[in-house]
Amino acid sequence: MSEEIKHSVVMIGAGPAALTAAIYTTREDIDTLLIEKGVVGGLAAVTDVIDNYPGFAKGVKGLSLADDLRAQAERFGAEIELGEVSDLAKEGKLIRLKTTSGDILADAILIATGCDYKKTGIPGEEKYYARGVHFCATCDGAFYREKRLVVIGGGNSAFQETIFLTRYASHIDILVRSQIKASDILQKEMQQFIVQGKVSVHLGVTPLEIVGDENGVTAVKGSDVNGSEIEFRTDGVFEFIGLKPNTSFLQSSGVGLNEQGFVITDENLETNIEGVFAAGDVRSGATMQIASASGEGATAALKIREYLEGRLHNSELKQLEVNP
Amino acid sequence: MVKKITIFTSDTCGYCQMVKSYLKAKGMGYEEVNLDRDPNRRAEAHRLSGALTVPVTVVTKVDDSQEIIVGYNLAKLAPAVN
Repeated sequence: MSEEIKHSVVMIGAGPAALTAAIYTTREDIDTLLIEKGVVGGLAAVTDVIDNYPGFAKGVKGLSLADDLRAQAERFGAEIELGEVSDLAKEGKLIRLKTTSGDILADAILIATGCDYKKTGIPGEEKYYARGVHFCATCDGAFYREKRLVVIGGGNSAFQETIFLTRYASHIDILVRSQIKASDILQKEMQQFIVQGKVSVHLGVTPLEIVGDENGVTAVKGSDVNGSEIEFRTDGVFEFIGLKPNTSFLQSSGVGLNEQGFVITDENLETNIEGVFAAGDVRSGATMQIASASGEGATAALKIREYLEGRLHNSELKQLEVNP
Repeated sequence: MVKKITIFTSDTCGYCQMVKSYLKAKGMGYEEVNLDRDPNRRAEAHRLSGALTVPVTVVTKVDDSQEIIVGYNLAKLAPAVN
């Protein structure tokens, strides 16, 4: 039989939103557990440099920011457990979580599971996964010293990670299906590598297949803006084509999700299930910025505190009614 | 029973930190091979794992059999070291 533990607040995820929320709740002496299945710090922790998080004039290493957020939350008593939540359900006034270490009950829940990178789904992607197809430049870039690379995507992540990969690769082709969506500052930063001949940006290219041999990836085949076949010789492919929310565990929970799977909340960051809140990249309407995730984490913590105080107040009133 | 744990890592890899944190929390010692500082051992990591990625965790048992875990995968790492 699984052991049942109860916490005031359980936060699912331990990225910037949850860690910030935990700093606030634990400073209020609210017993808080965070459950993380991936990396503490979320996608921020696997980003090389973060230049737009306030308070760091020279930018900050993603890993360093994640470590500091974690240390700050733990300083006030936040407990971080490595594990996975598979389901949640309302049970009276509590919420029951099914986790890899057993059932956990909570007065309130914060869903802050963030997002992961989308996959293209093209042939060859699965076959060469981790053997030439990658989604984490800071993890796998070092295997491509003096090699040719293809990066798929035209947003901030694609440009930021390409800039990181230039320290290893001899040449990088960036394949952008429609238009560049990366920020102006990243585009300017990229310009120096384009001038050096280290990076080429190809607009209007739709990747169709990743091909290779027994040694790994050899090329990406695609079509250009005219529909003509085009091929890029490469030793590896890094994909950064956008984000998808980590909400598959909520499919049978009754928590309201939008068409893309992001969690729907009201202005208090509360979902359609009382006591279940959401913050950060996983929330419908999120701006996918670390600063916004932290801000939402702080807001969610304050709303959770109000919710817990309201419940306490209501239960005291009921107690008075019973024992006038 | 575990005889030795070796983790292939890099300076910038967040998932590598998670493997190290997990083993530290379990009170388990390990040898770290940082491929940024020791690039000559990249081929060894690739040969052992078949993958071009870190972390690669090599768990050597007392009978010298090896279990190799690619990436930060608690579902495989936890039973391998416990």
